[in-house]
Amino acid sequence: MDFILHIIIRASFVLFVVAGYNVVFGKGKILHFGQEAQDIVVAYMIWVLVMRFGFPLGVALLAGVLAAVLSAALFTWLSLRLEPDGFGVMSIAVHLACLSVVLNWQSVTRGALGIPRIPRAPFPSSLGEFALFTSILLVAWLLVLWKLDRGRFGRQLTALAGHEWHAASLGIDRRKVHFLAFLLSGIGVVFAATLFPAYLFLLTPSDYHFSAMIFYVMCTVAGGPGHVWGVAIATFAIVFLREGLRFVSLPPDVLGPMQLILFGLILLIAVWLRRDTIFPKQRMV
Amino acid sequence: MKYVQLFSGVLVLALLTACKPTGSIKVGFIGPLTGDAATFGTDTLHGVQLKIEEVNAAGGIGGRMIELVAEDGRCAGGDAANAAQKLVAVDKVVVIVGGDCSGETLAAAPIAEAGGVVMISPLSSSPDVAQAGDFIFRDYPNDLLKAKAVAQFFAEEGISKVAIITENVDFTVAFRDALKKDVPEGALVFDEVVDPGTKDYRSLMTRLQDMEFDAFFANGTSTATIGAMMQQLREQGFTQTAMTHDAGQDKSVIDIGGEAVAGLYAINVPSVNEDSPFGQKVAERFGGTQAGMAFVSHSYDAMGVLAEAMQAVGTEGTAIRDYLYNLSSYSGIVGNFSFDENGDVIGIPLVLWQVQSGAYVKVKDIAVN
Amino acid sequence: MQLLINGLIAGSLAALIAAGLALVYGVLGVFNLALGQIVLVGGYATWWFCQVAGLPLFLGIPAGLVTGGLVAWLTFILFVKPFYKHHRFLPLVTTIALSMILDGLILLLFQERPRSILPGMKETMLLFGGRVSSEQLVLIAFTLVILFGFAYLFHSTAVGRRIRAVVQHDHAAMSLGINAPSLHTLIFVLSGVFAAAGGIFIGIDQNLTPTLAFPITIKAYAAIIAGGKGNFWGAIVCAYLIALLEQVVVGIHWFGVFYIPAGYQQTVALLFIIVFLLLKPTGIFGSVSRSA
Repeated sequence: MDFILHIIIRASFVLFVVAGYNVVFGKGKILHFGQEAQDIVVAYMIWVLVMRFGFPLGVALLAGVLAAVLSAALFTWLSLRLEPDGFGVMSIAVHLACLSVVLNWQSVTRGALGIPRIPRAPFPSSLGEFALFTSILLVAWLLVLWKLDRGRFGRQLTALAGHEWHAASLGIDRRKVHFLAFLLSGIGVVFAATLFPAYLFLLTPSDYHFSAMIFYVMCTVAGGPGHVWGVAIATFAIVFLREGLRFVSLPPDVLGPMQLILFGLILLIAVWLRRDTIFPKQRMV
Repeated sequence: MKYVQLFSGVLVLALLTACKPTGSIKVGFIGPLTGDAATFGTDTLHGVQLKIEEVNAAGGIGGRMIELVAEDGRCAGGDAANAAQKLVAVDKVVVIVGGDCSGETLAAAPIAEAGGVVMISPLSSSPDVAQAGDFIFRDYPNDLLKAKAVAQFFAEEGISKVAIITENVDFTVAFRDALKKDVPEGALVFDEVVDPGTKDYRSLMTRLQDMEFDAFFANGTSTATIGAMMQQLREQGFTQTAMTHDAGQDKSVIDIGGEAVAGLYAINVPSVNEDSPFGQKVAERFGGTQAGMAFVSHSYDAMGVLAEAMQAVGTEGTAIRDYLYNLSSYSGIVGNFSFDENGDVIGIPLVLWQVQSGAYVKVKDIAVN
Repeated sequence: MQLLINGLIAGSLAALIAAGLALVYGVLGVFNLALGQIVLVGGYATWWFCQVAGLPLFLGIPAGLVTGGLVAWLTFILFVKPFYKHHRFLPLVTTIALSMILDGLILLLFQERPRSILPGMKETMLLFGGRVSSEQLVLIAFTLVILFGFAYLFHSTAVGRRIRAVVQHDHAAMSLGINAPSLHTLIFVLSGVFAAAGGIFIGIDQNLTPTLAFPITIKAYAAIIAGGKGNFWGAIVCAYLIALLEQVVVGIHWFGVFYIPAGYQQTVALLFIIVFLLLKPTGIFGSVSRSA
């Protein structure tokens, strides 16, 4: 039971970010591969302030939100200036740059060693309580996103993603809408960045490599880009699948590579089965 | 709907495979079996496997066989925590050998600690592991010791100016930090940290042309990077003394580097040459090492000391823990060692090796005061 | 001078891989995230042919190239073709899945330890003040030969003209009777051959490890974007440029005052590209085409 709670908590952390990423990548069709950059910047901002400089958590949280806003602004600016595919590749560059700074600025971030012994708040204390707390926050976050999705913002974002010029000619401000999209993903990150390192008692750069980004992309695409609840289910399914593979009996010598292969195969099959519905084709004249 | 099918499919698989024979003692392993650090994960896994096979062949522990449950930590905190959670809560392992990367160990530690499961890391060298918990041990010496030994060697050889290139990974960065403290002020005349996995150091080394230095330390994390460093160093015409640590002591660095690594010093634990009896056992069973004999040895000994503890006091976590703390000496492949009050290993001697005529040869013991 | 030579070496490597990627991306608009793995396949295959099967180098290299082309062909048939007609993002995910599968297979087949196609130290000679080995010169020459050979193919032969037609406008080309789908396959296979050449380069000049694929892929993509999407030569030039930038970043004593820490080597090069793209979003050689 403990293990299942643990996986639920971990999946929730991923979903906080993926739900926001889904707004940018899934709904807005902005080719964004730099989500990890926001993760890194916000997480390190919060925990460096708390652990290395002794600030109280409240202040650090505000700083984290500020970091989310600034990174959202940066991405918006880049996405407006660069061509879509260019932005995709360059957002990876931003991610790598942030990772590089964290690894090299050792006096502040302790580099590759990470920041250990991050304290957990007195509440929630047990695994069960943590799971409950996280789940409630998560559902609230998803509901907020869903409301936005159904409201004006969602419609504007879809219009922009569908046909930019037409949307602009109708008065939809691309700058504002994109900024809001990146901001939403940033806020999702603030949740995850506060809870995950505290849960793990540890913050290390090794959790923020590109493989995490690939995971986000998979969850978004598998769940149907833009669909809040579809992506939520897909995220949980994929996380459970990945951890479920640990239970498949394999000889230790080939364990690692085989899990990789199995995961890739299952993903491939999933995409194959949903190939018609994942990206609905527009009617073309 | 597809996800329900998928999930239930995996669940069925899990239930089918979860029915294991009772009576066996389960031992867990956490290490990077895929990813950049996979060479270490595989070697440490092999060390544990070798020891378990030997113990089982000799009748197991109190008649019960040891069963290994291996998990992939992927050198990441999150994955290692998942692995630890599964091992402790689901498999109910008695002890764990792992993690390799310091991030893995630090993330798995609180879970092992809370579950009362003793964990020995065969590879984590970060100073943070010392305070990771009561049940957390390691049989890999803290970098401080190695750095002292290297500093001592430099002093003895009259080497006052050292150039060092470090890969930006916890393992090597911690070593460099410790070395910096132990050598005289300003001795590290060239101290650069490169991205992990970089294999092109040529332009970086052009800066060395204008510099005076007596020795070069290849502080890479794998034979791939250390081999490349040495090749490029010698190809650029530098003839200074070169040195590395245990990550560079493996046959593959000689395979790759050829004459470029002739004369390369390495500081490492004893008994890690290929023609020692242990080395031959490893060659026979696994066809050799991926990262270095030292790493197989460390995990082999970690499993060994745990097996001895279980033989003596049974499978209860606190009993094993107390046994380890009170252990006066365990005679392992890496030396005779015991644990201090933090769970750090003490007593492992260090040896200076050198590549001579295409193989690593022991030069002398290094006693660190 | 040494920096220039280093730039040429690293640049040739990057150019080979960028060439492969530019073909696929420029023509099909498809992201092949498994390209890094094909690089590895080419390198490891040549290693196997030379070191294990004992073939001499001049046979091992073509064998490796063929293997790379073969894997690329399989990639196209199984992972790209069934998907990209639905949406061009789908191959993104399927090639991610493929990259995982290939990673696992490479680990199983070749294990974790590093492999070198030409092990040992290479004799270097002094050339205009910089050190370079004869193998490296051969590799650079080889790269240029391949690239110019392809240029000849592209610009001066019938096949090349058809490829260019397909690049410019798929449907128009088909309406002229050009068999676009089979050309798509050809292009993909060619990209695999280029990628495999890159892997062989790494295997000879440095060594092969199972995880070196990713940073190379990123740099290749950056080169393509900087060079202008769909512009083959732009990508090549930019690949050399990025490689030179990286060497210069760590090698030069900036303003006589400071050195950039080596850890920022790749980052600075990439950031430079970002800044450049901000000024000229379509890339160095890209042209702004009117789209309705």
